[in-house]
Amino acid sequence: MLNNIFIAISNTLSREFRRMVSRPIYFIGTVLVMGFCYVFFLTFFNEGQPNKMPIGIVDLDNSSLSRQFVRNLDATQQAKVVMRVGSHREAREEMQRGNIYAFVEIEQGFAAKAISSKRPPITFYVNDSYLVAGSLLLKDISYMSALSSGAMQRQILRAKGVEENRIMGIIQPITTDTHLIGNPWANYGIYLLNVLLPGVLQLSILMMTIFVIGIEFKERTSHEWLENANNSIFGAITGKLFPYTVLFTLLGIIGNILLYSYMHYPMNASIWWMFLTTFMYVLAYQAVGVLLIGITPVLRDGVTLVAFYGLLGFTFAGFTFPIEQLPYSAQIFSYIFPIRHYFNIYVNEALHGISIQHSLISFIALLSFNVLPLFVYHRLKSAAIKQNYPIK
Amino acid sequence: MNAKQNKLPILNNWISVIKDIVSIFLNEFKIVFKDRGVVIIFIVASLVYPMLYCGLYKNETLVNVPIAAVDYSRGKYSEELLRHLDASPDVKVIKFSTFDEAKKAFDDRKVHGLFFIPTDFNKKLNNNEQATVSVYCDMSSFLYYRSLTLASSYSVLDMGNKIQVDRLNAQGITGQEATIASNPIPFESSILFNEGMGFASFLMPAILMLIIHQTLFFGIGMLAGTSREENRFHELVSTKLQRGGTLRVVIGKAACYMLMYLVFSFYILEVTPHVFGLPHIGNAIDILKFMIPFLMATIFFSMTVSAFLPSREIGMIIFLFFSLILLFLSGISWPQSNINGFWKAFAWIFPATHGIQGYIKINSMGADIHHVTYENVSLWIQSALYFVTTTVVYYWKIKRSQEKSEKEVETSIL
Repeated sequence: MLNNIFIAISNTLSREFRRMVSRPIYFIGTVLVMGFCYVFFLTFFNEGQPNKMPIGIVDLDNSSLSRQFVRNLDATQQAKVVMRVGSHREAREEMQRGNIYAFVEIEQGFAAKAISSKRPPITFYVNDSYLVAGSLLLKDISYMSALSSGAMQRQILRAKGVEENRIMGIIQPITTDTHLIGNPWANYGIYLLNVLLPGVLQLSILMMTIFVIGIEFKERTSHEWLENANNSIFGAITGKLFPYTVLFTLLGIIGNILLYSYMHYPMNASIWWMFLTTFMYVLAYQAVGVLLIGITPVLRDGVTLVAFYGLLGFTFAGFTFPIEQLPYSAQIFSYIFPIRHYFNIYVNEALHGISIQHSLISFIALLSFNVLPLFVYHRLKSAAIKQNYPIK
Repeated sequence: MNAKQNKLPILNNWISVIKDIVSIFLNEFKIVFKDRGVVIIFIVASLVYPMLYCGLYKNETLVNVPIAAVDYSRGKYSEELLRHLDASPDVKVIKFSTFDEAKKAFDDRKVHGLFFIPTDFNKKLNNNEQATVSVYCDMSSFLYYRSLTLASSYSVLDMGNKIQVDRLNAQGITGQEATIASNPIPFESSILFNEGMGFASFLMPAILMLIIHQTLFFGIGMLAGTSREENRFHELVSTKLQRGGTLRVVIGKAACYMLMYLVFSFYILEVTPHVFGLPHIGNAIDILKFMIPFLMATIFFSMTVSAFLPSREIGMIIFLFFSLILLFLSGISWPQSNINGFWKAFAWIFPATHGIQGYIKINSMGADIHHVTYENVSLWIQSALYFVTTTVVYYWKIKRSQEKSEKEVETSIL
C-alpha cells in the first residue's frame, strides 16, 4: 500500500518535472514574480522613512525672526522647504497640484508682535489625503515648533529672573520617553515588507496551485495524470504539488534571509522559527489552493476565486488596519487566511521576541489548513475520471 | 452629374467604415455578456469590490485601543494624567499593578501599548521639577502607534500646561504675562482634505481607481486570451472581423469597453463616495474630463498587453500581484517625492499612476482640471501611444491569422 503510493508520487513527480519545463508560465509565475517583488520592494522602501518631503512657506513677514524659523524648518529630518509663495491661496493650489504636502503661514508683522508680546500665531497646513506624508510632516513640524517655542520661553523666563534650574520644569513639566518596540525608527520597510512579501508569496502559491491542477482538467489530460499515479488521487496531488512546496519554501526562505539578514530587519527570536513558519505557510496555502480548485474544477473560475481570496488576504492579515477594529461581522473571517496566523507569529517572534508558546495556537492554525483538501477529495477524483465539469 | 457620382464612393466608403465599427462594437458587447468569466470581472467585481472594501474600512480610525497603564507613583498628578488619557477616544486604559503584569498583557496582545509612570513622578511634580513618563508602542501596526502617541502627547501636554501656569504663578508671573510666558508663539495646525485623518478617506479613492484599472486590464486580457484559445487559428481576432481592417477592430472594441466603463465609473466614483462618506469635493465635470483619457489609456494599454497572452487565465495568474505594485507606484502611500528615479520612470508607464494621482487631487482635494495638467497630459500621451501599439500588435496578429487561414485553404484544396 505504502509502496504503491510511493510509486504513484514518484511517477507524478517525473511527469510534473517534464511539464514544468514545457511552458514559461511555471517559471514566470514563481521565480520571476517573487524575484521582481523582492527587488521592487527592497529598493522602493530602502530609505526607511520618507525624508525631506517638499513643503511650502507663506512668509508674509519676511523678518529675521521668520527667516530663522524657516531655516529651522528646513533643518528638520522630514521637511524640505521647496518654495515660497505669496499667499494662502497660492500655497493651497500648490498643494492641490501635489507639489507640496504641507505649508506654513507666517503672518505680517509677526516679528514685531512677538517682540511686543502679542503672541502672533504660526499656522501650518498639512494634506492628509496623503496620510503617510501628512502625518509625518505634522509630527515633525509640531516637534520643531515646540522647540522654537521652548527657546523663546527660556528667554522670557530668564528676563523675568527665574532661576535657571527651575526653567525646564516650567517649560516642560512632563516629558515623554517613547519606545517603539521592535522598530525604534518607525521604519516603513520593516512595518510593511514583513507582511507584503509573504502576501505576494501567497498570491503566487494560490495561483500556481490551482493552475497546475486546473490545467489538467482544462486540457482534458486528467485521465493520463491519474493513470500515471496508479489511480491514486492522493499520490497524483502530492506528487504534483511537491515540487512547488520545495520551490515556494525556498523562495519564502530567501525572502526571510533578505529581510532579516541582508536588510537587518528586527529578528528577536531564532530565524529558524520564521523558516519553519514559512514552510507551514506554503503548505497551508497549497491546501487552500487545492480546496478552491476542488470546489470548481474549472480553471478560469478557480483563478477568479483565488484573485478574490488572495487580495483579501492583505486586508485580513491585519497589519494596516487592525482586525479588532474592523466591523464586527468581518472580524471572524480573518481566521480563514493563513497570512493572519503568519502575521501573528511574525509579531510574536521577530518583532517582540517573546517565547514560542505564545505562537503555538497560530502554528496549530496553520497546520489545520492541511485538512482542507479532504473536503474535495472525492470531487477531484470524480472530476479527474469522469471529466464531469463545464468546459466553457 | 459625374462629379456627384465621384463623390459618392468616398461617402459610401465612410459609411461602410462606420457600419463596420458599429458592428464590431455591438459584437464585442455580445462576446462580453456571453462570457461568464468576463462578466464576473467587468461587472460583478466593479460592483462588489468598491462596496466590500469601503465596508471593511468604514471605521476610518481606531477607537479605544486597549493600552496598559502602570502607576508606580500613585498620587494626585499621576491619577489625573491616567484619567485624561482614558478620556481620549483613541485609547482605553487598563490598569496593572506591576510592570511585569502589563508586559504579559502586551505579550498576549491584549493591549497594544504601555504607559508607565515611575515612582518619583508625583514627588518631582510637587518639587517643581521635570517629571518623565514612558510610553511603549506596539509597532505591528502603525495605526496603534499613532493612536497611542496622539493620546499620550495630548494628555501630557494638556496636563503640562496646567502645571506650567501654577508654577508661573508661584514665580509671581500671573495673568496675561503667564499666558505669554507659557505659550509665546501659538502654533496652530490645520489638517486639510482629510480632516479626520481617516484611513478609508486616504486609501479608498486610490483603491477605487485601481479597481477600474485592474478589472479593465484583467477583463480585456481574459477576452483576448479566450479568442486566441477558441478561434480556429488560435489567433487574437476572429476571422469574420478581419474584413474591417485593423483600425476598425481596435476602435470598435475600445468603444465597447469605454461605454461600459463610463457607466461603471459613475457608480464607482460618484455613488460609492456618497454612500460611504468618503472625501468627494471635486467637480463632477472635471472628473469626467479626466476619466476620458484615463479610460482610453487604460483600455489601449490593456489591449496591447493582452495581445501577448496565450490563454484566458494567464493574465491574472501572472499579473495579479501587480495590483499591489501599482498601488505603491502611484505614490499615494509612500510619497511620490521620495520614489527614486528609476521606479518613478517605471511608474509613468502605467495609466493607474496618473489616474490615481489625478483623481485624488480632483476628488479629495478639490483641484480643477488645470491643476492636474501633468497627469492629464500624461494620460493623453499614453492614450495616443498605446493606441498606436494596440494597432500595431493587432495588425500583426490579424496578418498572421490571415496567412494561416490561407495556408489552411490551400491544403484543403490540395
